[in-house]
Amino acid sequence: MVLRIEDVHLQYGSSVRAVQGCSLEVGEGELVSLIGQNGAGKSTLVKAVMGEVPVASGSITVDGTSVASKSYSTIRAGVSHVPESRGIFASLTVGENLRLGAVTRKDKAQVAADIERELERFPILRTYWSRGASLLSGGEQQQLAIARALLLNPRILLLDEPTLGLAPIVVDLIFDVVVALREQGMTILLVEQNAVRSLEVSDRSYVLQAPGRVLGSGTASELGRMPAVVEYLGFSPAEVGDPR
Amino acid sequence: MILEFLINAVGLGALYALLTIGVALLFGVLGLMNFAYGELILAGAFAMYLFRDQPWPFALLMAIVFAVVVALISERLAFHPLRNADPVTLMIASFAVSLALQSLARMTVLPRTRGVPPERFLSHRVTILGADVSVLDLVTLVLCGVMLLVVAWLMGRTSLGIQLRAAAEDFRMAASLGVKANLVIPAAFVIVGVLSAIGGAVLVARQGSVGADMGLQPMLIGVVGAVLGGMSSLKGAALGGFLLGAATALLESLLPTDLIAFRDAFLFSALIAVLVVRPQGLLSGAKVRVS
Repeated sequence: MVLRIEDVHLQYGSSVRAVQGCSLEVGEGELVSLIGQNGAGKSTLVKAVMGEVPVASGSITVDGTSVASKSYSTIRAGVSHVPESRGIFASLTVGENLRLGAVTRKDKAQVAADIERELERFPILRTYWSRGASLLSGGEQQQLAIARALLLNPRILLLDEPTLGLAPIVVDLIFDVVVALREQGMTILLVEQNAVRSLEVSDRSYVLQAPGRVLGSGTASELGRMPAVVEYLGFSPAEVGDPR
Repeated sequence: MILEFLINAVGLGALYALLTIGVALLFGVLGLMNFAYGELILAGAFAMYLFRDQPWPFALLMAIVFAVVVALISERLAFHPLRNADPVTLMIASFAVSLALQSLARMTVLPRTRGVPPERFLSHRVTILGADVSVLDLVTLVLCGVMLLVVAWLMGRTSLGIQLRAAAEDFRMAASLGVKANLVIPAAFVIVGVLSAIGGAVLVARQGSVGADMGLQPMLIGVVGAVLGGMSSLKGAALGGFLLGAATALLESLLPTDLIAFRDAFLFSALIAVLVVRPQGLLSGAKVRVS
């Protein structure tokens, strides 16, 4: 397993429990989605993987190495994170934002080649290379955030609500990119409120219910056989079907 | 006359811009409103006094060493243990560092204000395009101008500069990309030490003296300039400092002699008017990161 979260409990302050006993796994080359309503604890769980929220109990490992509560060790382990807010630096240009994605890498020649790879993937970033990142639209900023995260050449990519607030045509573009990455063998944990689209593209999904409990997990057809999941989502994942 | 005024105004503007960048950089990277900034200037100024008999460039070099060492020691002893503290705690700590360093200076090496004889070449005047210009004004302009260019190059063209600007905007996000706190925070203190040393050396040359409380006014200039330009934007802070310096020089030239004493009243009235219209500062975006 690339990412393994075992019986993790997270809380804000001394009383607000955001996640209670959550366990999940993401295997090599898998696209796994984490779906659930607002406040289910999805983003908090991702922040815990990134060391931004302390783990009260349980364990988080990447390739068998514990990473929780140490953000730099998480990055060294090869975890790249595209946060819900996109985390674009408005005062930097598009090019400078991209270069930050490779700040931990020493192989400068390969970094240049990888930047070129991302500019091929997202041509709009080449067009706006010298432009201030604050001038990009929401969809363009999301492309920049994903491209920057990929420059780490991660073992696993954490995408937190990548389509939030975007126009439908941009949502399609982002999901196309996610599918393309999966086909290239990238290991991805996708956090989404858009359950239908997530189930369409994911190998497996975890359905999270507040406060951070796994209601069910599996392929779309397996989830469709779980009454509690069907009731919680308001539709049967089996109707969506498994990805090709 | 106009050229002389321009050199004076641009030089003072560049000096104030250096001072404001020092304030804004630490505020951005660490969420720290560093009131001990004045004592870094004092450290540089004291080196200028201590090495007053040595060649001026050597004294300047020692000023940089002194200010950088004091900056790094204050970071290690006072601010490093408080990295995750809230901004108010950091600010109070900076007050404590400021008072401690000032008291230490007063108890030991600077119990009273010491005169520093003006460097001979700085008191000369030269004729440029028919204008009689003070060498001190020229040196202020060139030294501070070059430092601003170096800072602009460092921040805009180097990986460290990009990391510093990213950390100044959103430290948590920068850290999640691998920007190391243990690199950018000490680097910011080193840059601030260099800037305050240059500022201290120029101030000693202009005032001809060194006193334990001499850092207070330039520190306030740095804070006011940074607020004017925008605390969350280094470019804005530099612009704010520059405008403050240029306006100071302009008022000194234009105000009648009996009103010169009220120069700061005019200056800060204008500042309040600007902040009423743009409370976030001239160039700042909406966001100000605090810790």
